Amino acid sequence: MKELVKKLTEAFGPSGEENKIREVILDEIKDYADEVRMDVLGNIIARKKGAGEKLMLAAHMDEVGVIVTNIDDKGFLRFSNIGGISPFTLIGERVVFENGTVGVFGMEKMDDIKDLKFNKMFIDIGARTKEEAQKKVRIGDKAVYYRNCDIIGDYVTAKALDDRAGCAVLIKVLQNVKSPRFDTYFVFTVQEKVGLRGAKTSAFGIGPDLAIAVDVTKTGDTPESEKMAVELGKGPAVKIMDRSVICHPKIKEMLIDSAEKNNIPYQLEVLEMGGTDTGAIHLTKDGVPSGCLSIPTRYIHTPSEMASIDDMEKAVELLLYVLEK
Amino acid sequence: MELKETLMELLSAEMPSGSEVKTNNCLVEIFKRHCDDVRVDKLGNVIGRKGSENAKVKIMLAAHMDEIGLMVKQIDERGFIRFSYIGGIDHRILPAQEVIIHGREKILGVIGSKPPHIQEPDERNKALKSEDMFIDTGLSAEKVRQLVRIGDVITFKRKPVELLNGCFAGNALDDRAGLAAIIYCLQELDKLQFSAEVYAVATVQEEVGLRGAVVSTYHLCPDIGVAVDVCHGNMADVSEEETQKLGKGPAIALGPNIHPKLYERLKNIAEDYKIPYQVNPEPSATGTDAWVMQITKEGIPTALISIPLRYMHTTVETLCLEDIKLSGRLLALFISSLEENFVEGLRCY
Repeated sequence: MKELVKKLTEAFGPSGEENKIREVILDEIKDYADEVRMDVLGNIIARKKGAGEKLMLAAHMDEVGVIVTNIDDKGFLRFSNIGGISPFTLIGERVVFENGTVGVFGMEKMDDIKDLKFNKMFIDIGARTKEEAQKKVRIGDKAVYYRNCDIIGDYVTAKALDDRAGCAVLIKVLQNVKSPRFDTYFVFTVQEKVGLRGAKTSAFGIGPDLAIAVDVTKTGDTPESEKMAVELGKGPAVKIMDRSVICHPKIKEMLIDSAEKNNIPYQLEVLEMGGTDTGAIHLTKDGVPSGCLSIPTRYIHTPSEMASIDDMEKAVELLLYVLEK
Repeated sequence: MELKETLMELLSAEMPSGSEVKTNNCLVEIFKRHCDDVRVDKLGNVIGRKGSENAKVKIMLAAHMDEIGLMVKQIDERGFIRFSYIGGIDHRILPAQEVIIHGREKILGVIGSKPPHIQEPDERNKALKSEDMFIDTGLSAEKVRQLVRIGDVITFKRKPVELLNGCFAGNALDDRAGLAAIIYCLQELDKLQFSAEVYAVATVQEEVGLRGAVVSTYHLCPDIGVAVDVCHGNMADVSEEETQKLGKGPAIALGPNIHPKLYERLKNIAEDYKIPYQVNPEPSATGTDAWVMQITKEGIPTALISIPLRYMHTTVETLCLEDIKLSGRLLALFISSLEENFVEGLRCY
């Protein structure tokens, strides 16, 4: 699991430009799925045949990033954000483009740092002129945080654990499932970070009878954090509600029952901000009873997200019980 | 059945958004009395059909069954319960409310807060924030943990009361009033001739994003969709232009969310049959099921009828019973007027 998480989180894949991460995932699943196809938006849909109802499992492969909006005469790049990033997170940070070009963030002189916005910032790739910069980067090119994945005991810190942690869980489930009682579709979705967009089309294409997304959720276990009853290392969290969905009682109970019967630790999650692919899936066609299993994660959308490997392994175990019961 | 009894029966069910599937059976029972066929869809929408199947005109009436509520977010070491919101809650109305926690059993609780005597001077002028409020059940922390889980829903204790002049106050009238109007309409249809296939839909999860209407409209794909909801009633300190008067009949909406020919037809019928009505201009999003119905599949001609209601999203929502009756009657006469040519004309601009 550790090696897989490292491989997945270090891959490049901001929303709308998921080619590299797609290759990594395809390489991991190709020997295990009965069928693998891509839809027009670029979602990976891998099927593991089963006799029962159609189950869709979804984890998004895209990550937050930035997009170049302008290149000035001196070769500095202006940018906008892809997904929810705070400008304060970017101070002192580095990004990397798909072609390997590295840039650092700089900012204009400001009287009060509270005034910091993206339009007061720029990316410096070390170019001396516009022409030199244009050889490396074009307007519209995207970049992601330039960070390694580090394993710290049972915890892992990396960029893009949101939601490569979920991708890792789905991959491990697919690699280990033998004969699922559902006709199971493992979907690695695109463009979740910009509005649950890949989940919308892939769910329409599959038309599942039920669905479970695997995504990350916030925690309430750091000093003076907000009140939220989710902690790192206490097991995966069964989502009850976020801003995009109130999970269907049937799916919620299915996850809880499987955890309790098999003595897998789990938590219950009420997330007051944020949404997940479940939000798009459950409103597909005439409705899909849907739920979500969450990996508790600190510092989401920063270059140093942190989660527990054990929580991911427990999530795999739980989903395997759900599939094979 | 008398309208008041219908409304009381509707109010007896506790249906916070997202957990309707546990209690929507009462709606199935009510719909069965007035429909030819009743089913429940995958997300819990209750769908009743009245009139022949495969008729030339298919109309969907939608009113949402769900209500706003609270949800258990955290249980602290002393057994006090912290909560999150389901739907648009005004946190200023929460202190001193009596609530029901739907845990392993129903538990009564009160929302406590610091008394004025021990508030700091600057606290007295501020409304409490949700993180400063908690629910007290009187139970020990240990007992609370046995009975209550994170994610359990919480409803406000029901206290419907009859006021003077046919007025009625209580919570969840948004949108049980709309459901009562639809049921009244179904009863009226028994006295009228109509050729349409009528679907009465009690939708789920309106208060958290019009979600039940998204999937039920997709499923039915009607020729006409009419949402029946509440709108802001005339009240003190709010300008008359922004509100509708209680007791003066249904508010017929007009605006981008509304098909102009449906508005005209509803208005003309109200005038022909001397049903008092009010015009409700809606410049953009109506915030009702009509908003999502309209853009389902290839598009659905949509109308909206609203019942004026004061103090929306509080526990003393107030309306006039006569407005429900008039709305139901207008809907029934509208349905009775529908024929194939009119529906085809909705595509002609």
